[in-house]
Amino acid sequence: MGIRWQHLAAWAVFIIFMLALPEFVSKGTLRTIIFANFLAIFAISWDVLSGRTGYISFGHPFLIGIGAYTSAILSYRFGFPIALSIPLAVVAAMIGGTLFFLPALRIRGSYFALVTLAFMELMYQLVQVIRPDITGGTRGISGVETITRGAVNNFYLSFCLMALVAFSMWLLMKSRLGTALSAIGMNEESVRGSGLDTTKLKLAAFMIAAFVAGLGGAFYVHYLGSIAPRALFDINFLFTIIVAALIGGASTIIGPMIGAFFLTFLLEYLRPVLPGAERYFIYGGIALILYMYQPKGIYEVAKQGWGRIQAARAGAGS
Amino acid sequence: MAFLEIEGLSAYYGKARALHNVDITVEKGEIVAIIGANGAGKSTLLDSIIGLTSIRGDVRLDGDSLTGLASSAIVERGVGYAPERFNLFPYMSVLDNLMVGAYTARHDTERNLELVFDLFPRLAERRNQETYTQSGGERQMVSLGRALMTNPSLILVDEPTIGLAPKVCLDIAAALNRLNQENGLTILITEQNANFAMSLASHLHILETGEVRMSGSAEELGANPELKKAYFGNTHGP
Repeated sequence: MGIRWQHLAAWAVFIIFMLALPEFVSKGTLRTIIFANFLAIFAISWDVLSGRTGYISFGHPFLIGIGAYTSAILSYRFGFPIALSIPLAVVAAMIGGTLFFLPALRIRGSYFALVTLAFMELMYQLVQVIRPDITGGTRGISGVETITRGAVNNFYLSFCLMALVAFSMWLLMKSRLGTALSAIGMNEESVRGSGLDTTKLKLAAFMIAAFVAGLGGAFYVHYLGSIAPRALFDINFLFTIIVAALIGGASTIIGPMIGAFFLTFLLEYLRPVLPGAERYFIYGGIALILYMYQPKGIYEVAKQGWGRIQAARAGAGS
Repeated sequence: MAFLEIEGLSAYYGKARALHNVDITVEKGEIVAIIGANGAGKSTLLDSIIGLTSIRGDVRLDGDSLTGLASSAIVERGVGYAPERFNLFPYMSVLDNLMVGAYTARHDTERNLELVFDLFPRLAERRNQETYTQSGGERQMVSLGRALMTNPSLILVDEPTIGLAPKVCLDIAAALNRLNQENGLTILITEQNANFAMSLASHLHILETGEVRMSGSAEELGANPELKKAYFGNTHGP
């Protein structure tokens, strides 16, 4: 652990590079990156909870959906300003995170995952059935107020949000809290035996994950300008988030970011070749091969590759 | 009043009873060993003291009842737990493993870390190594170290020598003796290796299928021919 100046320098380089990006790439590419930014936020949220503590969430779209729907409804139906609807949406998502947490007190492993999946499915049904005059039912809501217009502005907005989330989560996970959450994922009993209150720690993890998911969901809906249950509470969306976190490298912050960009661009570049859902087979295959080769993900592959280059250089130099 | 008093302790996993009516006392500054085979309930006993199982009966530390307290509260009162070394956090460095132990006594982190590294210099050298890459002996040191980071006055040590080479067992014994004599730690240890336990402990208890079968000093138990046969593996004596 510990924060070194090299880490901070890497963050600075990354942020400067991204801020300069609109000068060099097309608007279409920027739009792809916007989606990647949001996916990175969702994947980081998933990873803080599931990548660390081992409580696998299959219900992340539930948390994201609460954030998105709350903000959309408040601003579109009730005329709340976005500056108010987004914080309220985040609070609502955190309340959702608490609901999520209740089964986690009693069950673990695949059962927990299934319960969270049920949350997502429940939300999908409820949104359509209960008060469709407010939620927009099956068709959802369109014409939601957007924060800003144009690819460049939205790129900056989504990138700043993503960078802020990533950096603050990185700091948080470097703290004792992050260490304890990872420890829970490896051996929860032992964490308790060391005198830590795992209930509080898990609640913290669920709250943080819900905060990030709700924040991302709310900003996302004000970027898209519309929301529909089918697109949000969707198994493909769920798996894209999970695969992004895992393929990049779980239990890190940079991993989910790499994974989100990798997946987004992969899906985008496959679009002309495979226009339908077959694209998901391709990334499923890539994910499978990667896990068999290196379960720690792309970040680990890159790290080892870099290590080998360094070693080769050192060997050549001597 | 003994330092640790376990009275009529029964422990359950669901409906299955793993311990039955166990009475054990440990005086301050003493090393006490629990000897028993696999499944005798040794780990359950330590889990019960630290609050990880549901129990009946009473556990008192320095006169205060620990029964019903959360593990975190029990650790805060000065009970450190060094579980079997398989219970480390494998993909974390030695230092991070120790740091998880440092939560309850965070103001003494520096001092405790110094104690651990002084006791096990090898851990200081390898502080950034992930524990799954370490040898059994090193992992045992990490487990003990993690317990020491909680600032304990009593440590529970679960089968420290299981699967370790004789030389490493001696190192562990030396460390435990030093903690006991120099740092005044009270130690409750479980063992299958009765010879190891007898060399360390002033008092021993034999645990069989969840019950205390026999108790006594090392000399008393060592002289019992039946026990010798069952636990010491050498009926002829040295």
